Amino acid sequence: MDDFWLVLGVMTCITFSCRYLFLSRAVSFELSPKIKRALSFTAPAVLTAMWVPIVFLGHKSSDIALLSSPFLYAGLLTVFLSLKIKNTLAVVCIGMCAFVVLRLTL
Amino acid sequence: MLNETDVVYRPMTNNVKTINQAMIDIMPLALATIPWGILCGSLSIKIGLSTMQAQLMSLLVFAGAAQLTSITIMGAAGSITSIFSSTLVISSRHLLYSAVFREHVRKRSFLSRSGMAFFLTDEMFAVTCAYIEKNKTFSALYSMSAGMTFYVIWNLSTFAGIVAGQYIPNLERLGLEFAIAATFIAIVVPLIKELAILISVLVSGLSALILSMYTPDYALIFATLLGMLAGYFTPVKESDNG
Repeated sequence: MDDFWLVLGVMTCITFSCRYLFLSRAVSFELSPKIKRALSFTAPAVLTAMWVPIVFLGHKSSDIALLSSPFLYAGLLTVFLSLKIKNTLAVVCIGMCAFVVLRLTL
Repeated sequence: MLNETDVVYRPMTNNVKTINQAMIDIMPLALATIPWGILCGSLSIKIGLSTMQAQLMSLLVFAGAAQLTSITIMGAAGSITSIFSSTLVISSRHLLYSAVFREHVRKRSFLSRSGMAFFLTDEMFAVTCAYIEKNKTFSALYSMSAGMTFYVIWNLSTFAGIVAGQYIPNLERLGLEFAIAATFIAIVVPLIKELAILISVLVSGLSALILSMYTPDYALIFATLLGMLAGYFTPVKESDNG
């Protein structure tokens, strides 16, 4: 990657700026309730836009059918678990174990 | 000879207690991101970054979702513009977090505020909000300790991925990417407390699926924006406002 250092530099600036902007004293304006409301959807939307393709399209990288995909079943199980269990680490661990087992058996 | 009773019964200062509490609170969340850090490290090596470059990503950018997306786009020889715009969209949620912390840290020094900003992550934000709710007060020491603990674990797991990536070919075939899906599911599902968020999540997920077949580089950005818009324009019942 020829432009790596440029990418690294700009990415560092972008991530830090987003985190720092409203902690800065130079910025005196407040976010309006409407903008805050809109931003409150960013975390669920962006995280979902990342996990859904893994669960539903993950099988494509290893040439297996969707209906025998460990990504699909382990993903659905994890959704179910996270509705039932409050502990994030437990959900992730059980989900991962289910994935490994399914991958070996399916 | 060490006097054990002395060690055990020596009263802890409040600061040490706060730091310990922060580490205990953030640890489960930090441990859950280890597979993800390993994946970040090993994928970086796979797409041709050097050990130092791969580690610097985690040391400086310190944003798992943004790092992973940019590595994927770099690996697919995507455009620099798509890397930057994805990073911006993914990081925009931190604007909200910093706006929430604003009133608590405004009076602190530049160094302190920069530190708070640098170590600000979803996980640090989550445990800090829980701390504020429980103790009715903000503690910079607590937030910084939680943030730094997370930083150390994230960088150690990236390093583990860098090393493993060099010795174990096709490490990513083990299904580490599923760990990301599992982590995000475990974070997102409890967030769905109102209809608008449910709509936002459904629209974002569905558009991510469809768009990733046509414009893989920009699927994440557009799916996120569509999800945000859908949530924003979902009518809110008056009773939900309280």
